Amino acid sequence: MLIELKNVTKIYNQRQANEVIALKGIDLKIDDNSITCLRGASGSGKSTILAIIGCVFQPTTGRVSIAGKQLTRLPDRFLTLHRRQYIGFIFQNLNILPSLTVRDNITLPLVPLGVTPAEMHKKATPLMEKFSIDHRQNFPASQISGGELQRVAIARALINDPPLILADEPTAHLDSRLSEEFMRFMMDLKSAGKTIIITSHDPLVTEHPDVDRVIDIKDGRIYVT
Amino acid sequence: MLLSSWSIALFLCGLIVLFLMGFAARSAVRVLLFWDLKSDSNRQIRLENEIWLTSTLVEYALAIQIISLIVFVLAADFYSHSIAGAMCATGSLLANNFGIPTLLIKIGGVFFYGFWIVLHQLDIHSEKYPLVRIKYLYLLLLLPLLVLDLSLELLFIKGLEPDIITSCCAVVFADTTDGGSNLLGGFTHSVTMGMFYGTIGVLIIVGSFLMVKWQAWMVVLFSSGWLWFFLLGLSVVTTEFSSYIYAMPFHKCPFCILKPEYNYIGFFMYSALFLGAFFGMSGVVVEPLHSIEGLERSVTEFQLSAVKLSLLFLILFFLVSSYHYWRYLLIGGEG
Repeated sequence: MLIELKNVTKIYNQRQANEVIALKGIDLKIDDNSITCLRGASGSGKSTILAIIGCVFQPTTGRVSIAGKQLTRLPDRFLTLHRRQYIGFIFQNLNILPSLTVRDNITLPLVPLGVTPAEMHKKATPLMEKFSIDHRQNFPASQISGGELQRVAIARALINDPPLILADEPTAHLDSRLSEEFMRFMMDLKSAGKTIIITSHDPLVTEHPDVDRVIDIKDGRIYVT
Repeated sequence: MLLSSWSIALFLCGLIVLFLMGFAARSAVRVLLFWDLKSDSNRQIRLENEIWLTSTLVEYALAIQIISLIVFVLAADFYSHSIAGAMCATGSLLANNFGIPTLLIKIGGVFFYGFWIVLHQLDIHSEKYPLVRIKYLYLLLLLPLLVLDLSLELLFIKGLEPDIITSCCAVVFADTTDGGSNLLGGFTHSVTMGMFYGTIGVLIIVGSFLMVKWQAWMVVLFSSGWLWFFLLGLSVVTTEFSSYIYAMPFHKCPFCILKPEYNYIGFFMYSALFLGAFFGMSGVVVEPLHSIEGLERSVTEFQLSAVKLSLLFLILFFLVSSYHYWRYLLIGGEG
């Protein structure tokens, strides 16, 4: 899966007083089966790039294609299908629903696909075992630790077996031990053939030896590749 | 009449539809002028987002306008209580020169508005917006029809005067002296019924053939057959079947069958006829779209579903419309 961004710009609140130019003509190619890190200060535009690749936002101009498919041209309903099929998203603030159990949080992306409870169980169990949270499966998410929450978020991103994993500042709220653990999980995923894009300014991530490429973003432009 | 709840409902529907269509017309002009799917410009991306919203609003607006046919007929029936000589919607519609034209425009509109919704549904089932230009050009062509529809409606309601004496359905649709009828004058009962059941038979045969093997000329035949049958069906319900439903040989009316004393049978009958005719005719409307890239599969799927649905509604219409007639022939009377 080759990800390609061509002359992508993103302007928030276009033609309004609070207009913000987040991206200024980004040209970027990301190879498949790699770990790529987008590095930059807060407000540099790295999360916007991630959100555009993840079909959460549309670019203001330019085009994005994944595996030859132009995402900027896709009507919303097809983008939704694309997101479900190809993308696993790990959010900065995790976005775990505290009142749901660990298992229900992980299987949540399967609900709109009409997957039966039995099949959900079949898919979630090996993931929970892999990330050592199976003993917490019936706990409400509000009652588990930060590290376990992080692993729930990763398991949820993988439940649809997507080829592309996007992680937005995944270690921002983790200590160094959990950050190391997170990177170890990412390496495992790369070994399983996944393409991983991480935004971060945490040296534990950006200077990790298994990161294939670090792209610096500054003021909405690619600074050094 | 202008201040009755029915009139206000109709005007409100009309105003909402006009407002939404006016909003959509602006997008339509921009689509026709600037649409370029190959472009990555901000204008194109904004246009793509804009038409997503606009098309959804138009779809709802046209659905409201289709439903307004029912509201209009019920309103006409309501007005008949205040008009001298009128016993049902027939009297109201004949009370001035705008009633029947409004009804005819609204009936035609059901199909034209519905076809836009079909085009829109096919368009959004493709990743490449293949019908955007066609559907927005069609939308601009629908605007005059909508304006005419609403203008006639306004003129009709405004022109209703309680003191003008009008005719009731028993007079309007009564048999002529030569034994024929006002709507199918010249045709005897047996010829009319022969045409009716004969057309049903032909439509079932052609439709079944289409489900096995799709041929363009057969679609044209099927759709033409449905257009003919739609007009024939409306006439036969009025001149033949209605009097069996009313159990009164001299009472022939297309509107009284909508009343509660006849168990609202008219709603079932007309729903089946309109839906059958709509799906039957939509097959030919989308036939030229086969050649458009990205639409081959969805057009074929739609056409097959449309044929199946039209046959289903045809059978329903046949059963509901013929029930009282055949019941009379087999067991007689109201017993």
